[in-house]
Amino acid sequence: MCAHDEDVLTLSAEAAARALAAAGLDPGAIDGLWWGTTRPPFAEGPSHAILAAAIGLGSNSTGALLSGSPHAGIEALLGAADAIAAGSARVALVVAADALRPGIGTSFETRAGAGAAAYILTSADVSGGEAGALIGARVTRTYPLLDRYRGDAELATRDVYDPRLFREEIFLPPIREVGEHLATLEPTVWSLPDPDGRLGGIAATQLGARGAVASDIVSKAVGDTGAAAALLGAIAGLDAAGTVAVIATGGGRTTGVALVADVAVPGAATLQHLLDEGNEASYAEVLRSRTELVAVGESVPMGVPPQSAMFVRGANEMLSLLAGRCADCGTLNTPPSIHPMCLSCGGTKFETVALARRGIVHTYVVNRTMPAPFVAPLGIAVIDLEDGARIMLQVVGDGADIEIGAAVDLVLRRYAHERGVPVYGLKARVRQDPPDIFGDAVEGNGFDGTGDETSTIKEQ
Amino acid sequence: MAWNKVAVIGAALINFGELFDQSYEHMAAGAFQAACGAVDKGFDPTQVEAAFVATQRGTLWGQEGIAGNTVPSAIGLAGIPCTRIENACPSGSDAFRVGAMAVASGVHEVVLVIGVEKMRDKSTEEGLLSRAAAGHPIFTRGETAPVLFAPFATRHMHEFGTTREMLASVAVKNHYNGARDPYAHFRNEITIDDVLNSPPVCTPLHLLDCCPQTDGASAVLLVSAERATEFTDSPVFVAGFGVATDHPYLHEKSTFTSLTATVTAAERAYKMAGIGPADIDCAEVHDCFTITEILDIEDLGFVEKGKGGIASLDGETSLTGRIPVNTSGGLLAKGHPIGATGVAQITECWWQLRGEAGERQVATRNGFALQHNVGGRGSGVSVVNILTTNR
Repeated sequence: MCAHDEDVLTLSAEAAARALAAAGLDPGAIDGLWWGTTRPPFAEGPSHAILAAAIGLGSNSTGALLSGSPHAGIEALLGAADAIAAGSARVALVVAADALRPGIGTSFETRAGAGAAAYILTSADVSGGEAGALIGARVTRTYPLLDRYRGDAELATRDVYDPRLFREEIFLPPIREVGEHLATLEPTVWSLPDPDGRLGGIAATQLGARGAVASDIVSKAVGDTGAAAALLGAIAGLDAAGTVAVIATGGGRTTGVALVADVAVPGAATLQHLLDEGNEASYAEVLRSRTELVAVGESVPMGVPPQSAMFVRGANEMLSLLAGRCADCGTLNTPPSIHPMCLSCGGTKFETVALARRGIVHTYVVNRTMPAPFVAPLGIAVIDLEDGARIMLQVVGDGADIEIGAAVDLVLRRYAHERGVPVYGLKARVRQDPPDIFGDAVEGNGFDGTGDETSTIKEQ
Repeated sequence: MAWNKVAVIGAALINFGELFDQSYEHMAAGAFQAACGAVDKGFDPTQVEAAFVATQRGTLWGQEGIAGNTVPSAIGLAGIPCTRIENACPSGSDAFRVGAMAVASGVHEVVLVIGVEKMRDKSTEEGLLSRAAAGHPIFTRGETAPVLFAPFATRHMHEFGTTREMLASVAVKNHYNGARDPYAHFRNEITIDDVLNSPPVCTPLHLLDCCPQTDGASAVLLVSAERATEFTDSPVFVAGFGVATDHPYLHEKSTFTSLTATVTAAERAYKMAGIGPADIDCAEVHDCFTITEILDIEDLGFVEKGKGGIASLDGETSLTGRIPVNTSGGLLAKGHPIGATGVAQITECWWQLRGEAGERQVATRNGFALQHNVGGRGSGVSVVNILTTNR
């Protein structure tokens, strides 16, 4: 599940940052973002643009937001692959993410989860034959059957069928059909849809899947991750050489893709570490994270609301944490929109730069007297970033792990939900010890290298 | 030589507290009438030529923003020139400075400086939210008032070994003084354990490390030094003042163990008065939180940087200490009706210098008292006024 200040967009940003770190790529190297999710933060709005800016993609980046069903994740993968094949992108970022929102009290509720998987796809001339996987086959079947759905303006996903009717007539037949095609490639590992913790196993049995079902560990740990499930499960199979058969289904469509890896894909091995990091959450916390439990006072307006001119001026600098570097003395003035003159020397010429996303706590507080919509305790820290800038930001969590000198990473979180508009910005997170399994590919790229949900795939 | 171009001939405040039964206008009138009544040789209110009114919050119900035209009417002086001064927590002390400059300029000979603030007409929750949601959508979100000062406590404790007991000793001392001030919001003594065991508000600050939300008003009357003896045989003169600003956001601070605006404002005030910190007999300083007073007494030069905590614990700032601080009870016990705070501090200094502070009276060997506020976002502005009985 998400924390109260997380959603599909923040999960996606974090997975993307890890994928970039695993690939050793700067975000400026990405030509486009293909993003699949059933729950973009805006039903209509700048979801894709906000995520692209938060990841640090250039304003000339391309890509697409795919949505509408849990099939959207694999559509993002294939959309990116097609763009590379067509030559319109050389390096593509694929993010499949979801945070399901079931009806309160429905049977669907207990299996609804949240997660994000990010892949980086490159054309063969970019990857130069380095570690990665190839898309070996793809197959799609379409039947105009109703599965789970959500009507216009509805908040909770409907899960309408008798379980056996769903299983026998809607879920299993197309998976068998697609899976039998993939089985001819003799996959070593399968990533199968598993919306309830049992259907995946039944599908595997019917397919006679000889390989391990990699998606099991994901669905057991975090439940049904919707549009993220297929690519999350596939990561579990990409930590070694072999062929991973990936199947996604939803919205009347079922697609299978075979990913063929000669060696382990960078970043894939950290998945298990991340799945093991779980904490218990109360039902109230779960409801709050899904915005199904809203405290009285939630509608208190921000001092500077999203419809204000300040948001227009500051749109990029808040998502990307920009500063104006003084041309005369080098001082970093944050944010640029409120600093017409240098804090140190009064200079008026600036170069806009993105600040480092790692730093050290100089001092901090834990604010414990915060009425809703704030969530107390709320850590707030003054942080000295690695590039010499000083910044003050909220700290993720309950403040118990903050201390002077603590190393922090900056991560995207949702600061507010103002009259239906989610407001995003960076928060600090106290860095935990990185897992040993994370490779050397994180040097010098400015991103968090701790833990990963990623793969690199070469397009054939 | 001290500046001494302007004299304070009357000063007063109303009883601070939760004044649910009094309007903004009633509080203003009460303070003004009391100040007129405090003039030794009598004072006809119509002698006031101009007024400066300090009110920090301009959005209580809309009319405080135009206090410059509502207050004269409320206090029976409709027709006089009156200007609202807003300069964050030092609004009252800055109104005093501006009033003194108006007199010194020769434009007006008799000026009223009045501070009025309603803090309790809005709910605590509403007040907290308005602060926490104000300002930059990301960089200041969640910044209730303690967030502006508690990071300094964290760092001061880290660098100098200042302890929570040392912080608590400031609250204990100020409540002791407040118990002896009939105008104080809180007139009860407390112990260090009371402070340590009070609920956490913004770590490392607990409830009794924080000043309350208080309604109040205070007024002082200023005349040119030449005319002071028309009104009193015991005038108190404005020896000097200083104002300084600093970058407003905490991430723009170079240090978290000093409020640099205070240091600069004090340097300017001392220079203008021709004295140094050792010449001050007593001081009313900005103790919105216990850590703030510790920073103040260091930044004003009363104790060495880093020693503010231990000096407080050792009693150096008590009524009988080397440099008595916040004899009125300070913001912590007397209360902090923002616009009125600085004017009320001036009033306490006036009483101390005239020997009228009753149980709280301290020895005034040198005849100098100092008044100080610091505030704004990230302590971005500080005002220091110095008063003297020396002619």
